[in-house]
Amino acid sequence: MIRLLTGVLLALAFIGPAQAHKLKVFATVEGGEVKGYAFFIGGGRAAQTAWVARDAAGAPFASGTTDGEGRFAFPAPQPPTDATVTVDTREGHVASVTLPSSRFGGRAVAATPTLPTDGPSPIDPDARLAALVEAAVQRQVAPLMERIEQLDTRLRYADILSGVFLILGLAGIGLWARGRRG
Amino acid sequence: MAHIPDGLLSAPVLVGGGLLAAAGVALGLHRLDERMIPRTALLAAAFFAGSLVAVPVGPSSVHLLLAGLMGVMLGTATFLAVLVALLLQALLFGFGGLTTLGVNTVNIALPGVLCGLALGPLIRATARPSVRLAAGALAGGLAVLGTGGLVALSLWLSSSAYTPAARVVIATYLPLALVEAFITASIIAFLARVQPGALRPAAP
Repeated sequence: MIRLLTGVLLALAFIGPAQAHKLKVFATVEGGEVKGYAFFIGGGRAAQTAWVARDAAGAPFASGTTDGEGRFAFPAPQPPTDATVTVDTREGHVASVTLPSSRFGGRAVAATPTLPTDGPSPIDPDARLAALVEAAVQRQVAPLMERIEQLDTRLRYADILSGVFLILGLAGIGLWARGRRG
Repeated sequence: MAHIPDGLLSAPVLVGGGLLAAAGVALGLHRLDERMIPRTALLAAAFFAGSLVAVPVGPSSVHLLLAGLMGVMLGTATFLAVLVALLLQALLFGFGGLTTLGVNTVNIALPGVLCGLALGPLIRATARPSVRLAAGALAGGLAVLGTGGLVALSLWLSSSAYTPAARVVIATYLPLALVEAFITASIIAFLARVQPGALRPAAP
């Protein structure tokens, strides 16, 4: 039996290190739009799944269903507020991510020039430039944030092994305690 | 799926699940002897590693639970095995959560233990391999469906906004139940051939 189970365990360990089971939501702001996707760590995307976006007070302001790739998108909240995106697969998996209101700050600056400014005003080019920089930085940073999220949630082989050996160690302690008492 | 994260369940469900899990673990510890400790540890390790491997199915992804197998081989010690494995998964990988540990333990272990109690005697007593195969498959499959039902029940009892939809639960749990039925049946058939004692959780 021990040999069989060790075999099963080893097989699982070698198939498994990259796979896992937990729903996560990734979201980023791009040009006044919040984009993101829901994914299972190492195990595919949550496709055709309901999502809802709530503001800081918990009131929903956008909702929908993810596409075949688990993606969602909605316009950034105006005025800026903490936005929480929650994805629910309807079978017990729920995950959410919160974007702090500061992430929408650049958008707010870009929106202000529409206030009463007759003709070419000095604030206009600055605000436009700020919006452009914001958009460019977001575009460059998004893949990095995605990568960080992936690294953060990766299953580490060392962790799996330490879990297995912790269990075996517990068994050893149990046997030792039994032997002392018996 | 079977790992309900923190913050979704109401306090009475958490406390009830914790008490049930504590009772189950106490029962399991009571029956634990030298013969059972290594076996419990091995199955806990198999469950720990096995339920890290997730396969995408439909809108979700599923992983092995092995609860039916544990129920037949460990009896009430299943609670202990599941508790230890879930605790490590929560601490090392953030699967599930510490407050939901009790509920998750009950959700996974209880159907397995019940299947072990119901089908274990038949699996041990029968002389016909086909009957044993069928009973093993039934234990594996029913334990998974039981877990699905209990997960839905705990979310529903908490009147959570995220109560699972029956259609989606069935769509994701049914393929898993079939796979588990197959795996459980083949392991039980193998053990019955090479080491029948392994299917007997209590000392003779």
